[in-house]
Amino acid sequence: MESQKAALTLLVAPVVGVVAVFCLAPLAVLFCYSFFHVEFVEIAKQPSIGNYVKVAESETYRWLIAKAVGTGLSVAAIAGVIGYPVAFFIAKRVVLLKSVFLTALLIPLYTGDLVRIFAWRVVLGAEGVLNSFLLWTGVISEPIQALLFSTTATLIVLTYNYLPFMVLGLWLAFESLDDRLLEAAADLGAGRWATIRRVILPRTTPGLLAGGLMVFILVIGDYLTPQLIGGSSGVTVISAVNDLFGTAFDWPLGSAIAWSLLATMVALIIAAGLLFSRTRLGRSIISGG
Amino acid sequence: MDIRLHRRNFLTLAGAATLGGLGLAGHTNHAKAAEDLVWLTWENLAKDDYIGPFLSQSGIGLTKNFIGTDDEQFAKLRAGGSSSVDLITPGLDKVELYVASNLLQPIDLARVPNAASLYDTFKNTPLGKKDGQTYGLPFYWGINPIVYRADLMSEEPDWSVFFTGEKYKGRLAMRDYALEGIMIAALYLGIPRERMFDMDDRELAEVKKALLAQKGLLRTYWNSISDLTNLFATGEVACAFSWVPPYYELLGRGLNMGMAKPKQGVIGWCDTLAIPAGVSDERLDATLKLVDYLLGADYGAKLAVGGPYALSTSLAREKLTEEQQEKIFVKDLSIMDSFVWKANPARYSDWVRLWNEVKAS
Repeated sequence: MESQKAALTLLVAPVVGVVAVFCLAPLAVLFCYSFFHVEFVEIAKQPSIGNYVKVAESETYRWLIAKAVGTGLSVAAIAGVIGYPVAFFIAKRVVLLKSVFLTALLIPLYTGDLVRIFAWRVVLGAEGVLNSFLLWTGVISEPIQALLFSTTATLIVLTYNYLPFMVLGLWLAFESLDDRLLEAAADLGAGRWATIRRVILPRTTPGLLAGGLMVFILVIGDYLTPQLIGGSSGVTVISAVNDLFGTAFDWPLGSAIAWSLLATMVALIIAAGLLFSRTRLGRSIISGG
Repeated sequence: MDIRLHRRNFLTLAGAATLGGLGLAGHTNHAKAAEDLVWLTWENLAKDDYIGPFLSQSGIGLTKNFIGTDDEQFAKLRAGGSSSVDLITPGLDKVELYVASNLLQPIDLARVPNAASLYDTFKNTPLGKKDGQTYGLPFYWGINPIVYRADLMSEEPDWSVFFTGEKYKGRLAMRDYALEGIMIAALYLGIPRERMFDMDDRELAEVKKALLAQKGLLRTYWNSISDLTNLFATGEVACAFSWVPPYYELLGRGLNMGMAKPKQGVIGWCDTLAIPAGVSDERLDATLKLVDYLLGADYGAKLAVGGPYALSTSLAREKLTEEQQEKIFVKDLSIMDSFVWKANPARYSDWVRLWNEVKAS
């Protein structure tokens, strides 16, 4: 037993070390810097909470953090609604070509961010595919400008970009859903909706949560898509941090905003987890029922 | 106790890993050999046919490391990269940041004969200098004008097109860069040039009001010049505060393009040649020879045609046709009087905060 523990420790230690050095250490450094301030091109190492006060007092930074969270939740919700039936179809209805469908689902990820973004510009632009088609059919007489460089366009492209992460999480959940449970539900007289609500949904919620969390986090970190698709309203909290680190050389304030965002996300995830664990569905999942 | 920490100290710790990614570490040993120099610069300045003649004549070797932005160049130097670089290309307005960080050495102009032919504007500018010594030697320059689709606009625009009127609403683009965005608003508002980089709270509030009005007229903020070129080509944008290249590129592709230089003033930019503090002995001799060549007629003529950009010296001017001179704005040098040269604002953090407030509004 002791030797097993030692072997496990030996195996896990390098992973913990890598995570600590390459992930946690930079964050810790940023955390320290968030308490300093800049004097021209020097960082004055006089600790204070001044930068956090600036963030709390600034309507702009508060709004940008809230906007990031709101966008993350919106895209995760849209991806969940679209991804749920797609994952169900691949897991439960496709037999022979399952790997083909999964590969097709991942194809957008094989290209770079910029390729996907510019492809959408070709589709949504004033002289793009969609506007040209609508003009040709006579549905519109002027191109719809709001198709591109708008919040709607940003949500569409973000959903497209991160939908595979949602579907993959859900697909795994559907694959582990025992078909005999569905048969039993039908045998016991449950209708389609009752089966979904009382059998399928509880069994696939962990996949939905995992996919949703992944999409939420990735969307918050994506500033290229809003910048290149969102037009004049495409500013994000990440691009503001980028401005402070790059252009303004104000690393401490940039660090404070980054940490405020991180703390907000962690607090939200913990709060959501606690709330969910108090629901019947949550308790049932936690207890493995 | 007031302990000050240079960011360089912190970055040096992380520098080894970063430098590998930046392509500098691999050149360290390479750069140590005498007369084998490393130049950190923009890709379009170090083309083989521009510098080939100098390299073959002098026997000096050159490794080129390319930068994407001035901020990136500064970060590389601050990350400890200065020990493996012999020549850098910072913006004239940014040199004081490098000097304040002790990253540069003064340039002995007596060892750069071509520097005697600098245009008066560059000889007399206080930028790039400290205590009477030159740290950033003006190298090449240009303007950032308004570029527009002449087929989509009925008149030549000036800066007011970005702030008033509905005629081109949703067809305009502005660079996503606090310094230039705020400079343009100040030009539009008529804030005197001598006060532009030292605006008080009242003036900054006026600028913010103008920029908020501007945001409602914009299609987008652009981030890269290739992106803006694409926006012009696809008809998404009819008029933008721009760099010069999209004008010539799209003109060459058959689009009816226009370039406006508003009377309120045009933003002028200039990049410099600067030598990192640690360069010495034979390496310094070789670097100064390279600097002298880069300010000379042969290099200048190639840059004027291939860029098209103008050198800070007059040496190449006579080699150019009138059309080529016109193209790089050196035919009538009085045009420089209308330029507002970029400088580093005293309250730049406030400028960036204001810019972000406008974009987030």
